[in-house]
Amino acid sequence: MSASSEEVLLVVKKVRQKKQDGTLYLMAERIAWGPDGKDRFTVSHLYADIRCQKISPDGKAKIQLQLVLHTGESTTFHFASESNALRDRDATKELLQQLLPKFKKKANKELEEKNRMLQEDPVLFQLYKDLVVSQVISAEEFWANRLSMNTLDHPLSGSKQEVGISAAFLADIRPQTDGCNGLRYNLTADIIESIFRTYPAVKQKYAENVPHNLTEKEFWTRFFQSHYFHRDRISTGLQDLFSECAKQDEKGLKTMVVQGVKNPLVNLLSLEDKSLDEGYGAAVAPSTSNTNKVKENSNSAIIKRFNHHSAMVLAAGLRKQDADQASETSSVDGNSRDSDYFKPPIKKVKLQEAIEYEDLERENRQKTVTLNLKKSDRYFHGPVPVQSQNYTTSQDIINSVNYIQQEMANYKPSLIQVISSSSASSAIAALSPGGVLMHAGVQQAINQMVPLDVQAELKHLYMAAGELLRHFWSCFPVNTPFLEEKLVKMRSNLERFQLTKLCPFQEKVQHQHLSINLTGHLEEMLQMAYNKFHAWQNRHMLRKT
Amino acid sequence: MKLNIEGLLVYFPYDYIYPEQYSYMLELKRTLDAKGHGVLEMPSGTGKTISLLSLIVAYQRAFPLEVTKLIYCSRTVPEIEKVVEELRKLMEFYAKETGEESSFLALALSSRKNLCVHPEVSSLRFGKEVDGKCHSLTASYIRAQRHSNPSVPTCHFYEGFDALGRQVPIPSGIYNLDDLKAFGRSKGWCPYYLARYSILHANIVVYSYHYLLDPKIADLVSKELAKKSVVVFDEAHNIDNVCIDSMSVNITRRTLDRSQANMETLQSTIQKIKETDAAKLKEEYSRLVEGLKEANVARETDVYLSNPVLPDEILQEAVPGSIRTAEHFVGFMKRFLEYLKSRLRIQHVVQESAPQFLKDIFEKVCIDRKPLRFCAERLRSLLRTLEIADIADFSPITLISNFATLVSTYSRGFTIIIEPFEDKTPTIANPVLHFSCMDPSIAIKPVFERFQSVIITSGTLSPLDIYPRILDFRPVTMASFTMTLARTCLCPLIVGRGNDQVAISSKFETREDFAVIRNYGNLLLELSAIVPDGIVAFFTSYVYMENIVASWYEQGILENIQRNKLIFIETPDAAETSMALEKYQEACENGRGAILLSVARGKVSEGIDFVHHYGRAVVMFGVPYVYTQSRILKARLEYLRDQFQIRENDFLTFDAMRHAAQCVGRAIRGKTDYGLMVFADKRYARADKRGKLPRWIQEHISDGSLNLTIDETVQLSKHFLRQMAQPFRREDQLGLSLLTLDQLQSEEMLERIAQIAHQV
Repeated sequence: MSASSEEVLLVVKKVRQKKQDGTLYLMAERIAWGPDGKDRFTVSHLYADIRCQKISPDGKAKIQLQLVLHTGESTTFHFASESNALRDRDATKELLQQLLPKFKKKANKELEEKNRMLQEDPVLFQLYKDLVVSQVISAEEFWANRLSMNTLDHPLSGSKQEVGISAAFLADIRPQTDGCNGLRYNLTADIIESIFRTYPAVKQKYAENVPHNLTEKEFWTRFFQSHYFHRDRISTGLQDLFSECAKQDEKGLKTMVVQGVKNPLVNLLSLEDKSLDEGYGAAVAPSTSNTNKVKENSNSAIIKRFNHHSAMVLAAGLRKQDADQASETSSVDGNSRDSDYFKPPIKKVKLQEAIEYEDLERENRQKTVTLNLKKSDRYFHGPVPVQSQNYTTSQDIINSVNYIQQEMANYKPSLIQVISSSSASSAIAALSPGGVLMHAGVQQAINQMVPLDVQAELKHLYMAAGELLRHFWSCFPVNTPFLEEKLVKMRSNLERFQLTKLCPFQEKVQHQHLSINLTGHLEEMLQMAYNKFHAWQNRHMLRKT
Repeated sequence: MKLNIEGLLVYFPYDYIYPEQYSYMLELKRTLDAKGHGVLEMPSGTGKTISLLSLIVAYQRAFPLEVTKLIYCSRTVPEIEKVVEELRKLMEFYAKETGEESSFLALALSSRKNLCVHPEVSSLRFGKEVDGKCHSLTASYIRAQRHSNPSVPTCHFYEGFDALGRQVPIPSGIYNLDDLKAFGRSKGWCPYYLARYSILHANIVVYSYHYLLDPKIADLVSKELAKKSVVVFDEAHNIDNVCIDSMSVNITRRTLDRSQANMETLQSTIQKIKETDAAKLKEEYSRLVEGLKEANVARETDVYLSNPVLPDEILQEAVPGSIRTAEHFVGFMKRFLEYLKSRLRIQHVVQESAPQFLKDIFEKVCIDRKPLRFCAERLRSLLRTLEIADIADFSPITLISNFATLVSTYSRGFTIIIEPFEDKTPTIANPVLHFSCMDPSIAIKPVFERFQSVIITSGTLSPLDIYPRILDFRPVTMASFTMTLARTCLCPLIVGRGNDQVAISSKFETREDFAVIRNYGNLLLELSAIVPDGIVAFFTSYVYMENIVASWYEQGILENIQRNKLIFIETPDAAETSMALEKYQEACENGRGAILLSVARGKVSEGIDFVHHYGRAVVMFGVPYVYTQSRILKARLEYLRDQFQIRENDFLTFDAMRHAAQCVGRAIRGKTDYGLMVFADKRYARADKRGKLPRWIQEHISDGSLNLTIDETVQLSKHFLRQMAQPFRREDQLGLSLLTLDQLQSEEMLERIAQIAHQV
């Protein structure tokens, strides 16, 4: 392993590790250390393996840097250069700071995910044991469409929960005077992210202007100078970069207000039942001419700003879910009836909540969970194939009822044509319990006859077979060479499954002298797959020749 | 459970009961037995409504001839709907226990805006627009026009109701507003008129105060309600203000200008009609000569103009000759308008009584008292004769005519104040004539006289004895109930000083003091760090809140608070505030926690509950005195002193304290709930203030918590919150503050229950 083959980003000399002097190399994908005078690295970590780095506090005599790995191990480097140990360490730290996050995201995410799925889902785990551990199919095949399926099902389950935004993030950028008529704002990556998430308008401005019009520094300088940031200052009327943002915010606030509130109990507009007409009442209604001026003053601007800021911070935390919901609703937009349909229940639920006294009620009362339907139609009707239906009109029904009534009224039993009494009684005997035709009725329930362990095994077999068959059938229609290959492989998998799993089970069942055929259905399913495969193979051969 | 309240079988739809509920029902029963009025104060969130309903329904069933109807008045629409839902619960319990479908009919009545199902009309946003549009589709003459001209649009829901709705009574059951709408839709009947018709034979009616207290509406809606009804005013702590509002009129120059325009329109319409259909006017004239009250048939839709004075004050005579013809009346009104205009052209404030005003008007423009009294009646007749479609346009002239009728009818209890400008802006001329009612008993008097039992109840009615005095009635029971608690789930604290020992108070001299504002800020900051979920803070006025928020912002206090919780602030705009409220609840719900800054006497403090985690602490910054410099208030205080011997200061303190109690009481609902109540003003420690708080709050204020510093407050709050956070099980409550039927029947318990009610 020579360093020359890789791109070396940083070389730091006089670094001690385990009391040995050596040199530290930071390369594109890994960090490595070799003792002085030797040609090989004794320590080498991929960045992806590193969980975090730690540094010794500033005052300490030893200037150290520690790397903690995902496995829990750690490696400590001691920067021993007398003159510029601190500088070396900081340079290393800075570089690592930039490099580590890039690799972090990739690290073993998939494996973790698989592990998590297996732990969370015992059925899947059993399947995994049945199929992969016993080498019916390979692990890759097993996971091939599991993972993608899973990510489709729960897009959120895999992603990390996002950290919310501190409401006071703007307070954290308290300016400090630098002593010579200037102000210093402390801006960290976190705060910038908070600003972007809370105020999308600023993010947009940033995307528009940085870096082609302004440098990043200029952008933020302007931001802090803007009226937008200092909402309490009276607008100077200067057209700055952010006046547009302010307008957008205003608009956003307005739409929020216009949209109104969902919970009718907090809607102040509909609180009053019958307001007094204009001109009545003891309290003087504020004359409109004056309030306008008052409205413009800075105090109410601050109040508005706080309401808006809080709403935005709150919304930023929920935005992700919102986006999902928005896509859902937009897909349902076709029938807005749905939203109407669910409107009264919100009110009902809130009212019920409001009149509930939990301690007066008996405890065993069941809390019901409301059904959350995205499309109520589906629930009520199920997927109905679209077809030109021939409706039975109510007239038809009435007619047929009339017809039947008529028939019944005119019904005359023809007593000559009935069967003889002897054959009738034999038929009754045959249909009574114990009779010839009633053997099926006395049959014991199958779950009482089969021992539990066999049942469990059968269940596993079914699951495994189901999984394999799913793989098998998912290959159709076979339109790529890859699928062809897979199909052939799956067929052999099925056969192997039958040989290694199904047959031993059958034998076991026979040993226990169980009369019923437990595996008939399984075999049938397999046979079906084989038939399909043969049919396909024949056709395939024909086409080839 | 089934209770035995002094021999009355009461079905109570829960398995457990609070002792105070039992006690409350006892008092209520005694009031009904005596056929008298009652004032009952019961802590908020102890199930007042269900106790009321259970007992009165049981009473109605037991003595159907004694009590025929329950009229339940509440204040807000959600409140009304809650009552109906509780009633539904009760009725379901009845059905389950007795196994028979009850024949009870109960319904909620609200304005057209909440009940209309007409697709076009109901989409309008404001109540007034809905009323106007409805009127233009359903007025009797419009419907008459339709007979000759089928293209005139009418409302088919009303037509449907008119054709069939009156013959078949609405099936018995419980109808909330939405139920009424659904029923109306399914039948094709107008739910609003159906409800208005059905309240006549319903067993229980739930609607808002105005339908009983505002004579303009009461005359139309509630006139024919049976005398043997029980009337309940829930949340009645502000009832005097509702009464006063419904009788007061303000006239600005703009009103006069618009009335002028109205008169022009009327005049030209009269001219037109004269040319085309003179007979109509003649007919009206002869009708007025004969003094015929117009027949009451098919006129329920012409509701828009009703007499502003109370029924017993309306004269049973013919309209006097001087205003009988349409032109004369228009001339008369014009003269009256000119007079009012001249009165508004003043440079200094004028205050006079109604007789003085009448004398002046007679001397200056020779307008007599008698025709003035008939103004409202005469205008109503004229507008109907002229078949004015859009009645909303004529609201200014209606206002003027109502004022004329009121001022000439009542010689006592009212005052006229003419202000040339607002106090804040003495340079801008904006003359207003306030015709202000000072005596709430005027509006409520007919209610007390007409119905056999009137119950006034609320969570905060202290001191109880003041209500019978200002409303001028004699109650048979006055009781205040305490809250039995297994754990002290409310923690009232009076903060009098900051950590720097500076007294904190919102009194006028110190309210702008920097130290006070900073201490208020520190208090909120400290609390925001220790209180979970939601905190609600109330200020004494909107202007004060604005100032404080601005200086907190400058001092960086708000930013520090934001580290702990999100901040939402009430604004004068109701829609904006609604949004802030919803976001506030959302933030409490998802665990972030939030602070709502709000205003006492504002909409939030009056109508929104902050139960459970929505309000773990309520902070009352300052004592919410009403703005004392207002002349109307001064006149009212004077009147109260002269007529009822209530001292000005007593009334002001009473008014401030009921609002403070109302604010802090919003946080507690039920015994599983808990909340801090922080009174941040040293004046609360004084006996005259503290003594006016409701008993159920007062009794938890220990002498040790009277003049706390912020640090001490935080210590006590921490302790309280830690205790409250412990699991609270039913067993802890049972037998103390929560009873089973068996426990309720024990002698010892009944003795204890007897102590809960404090008779005044």
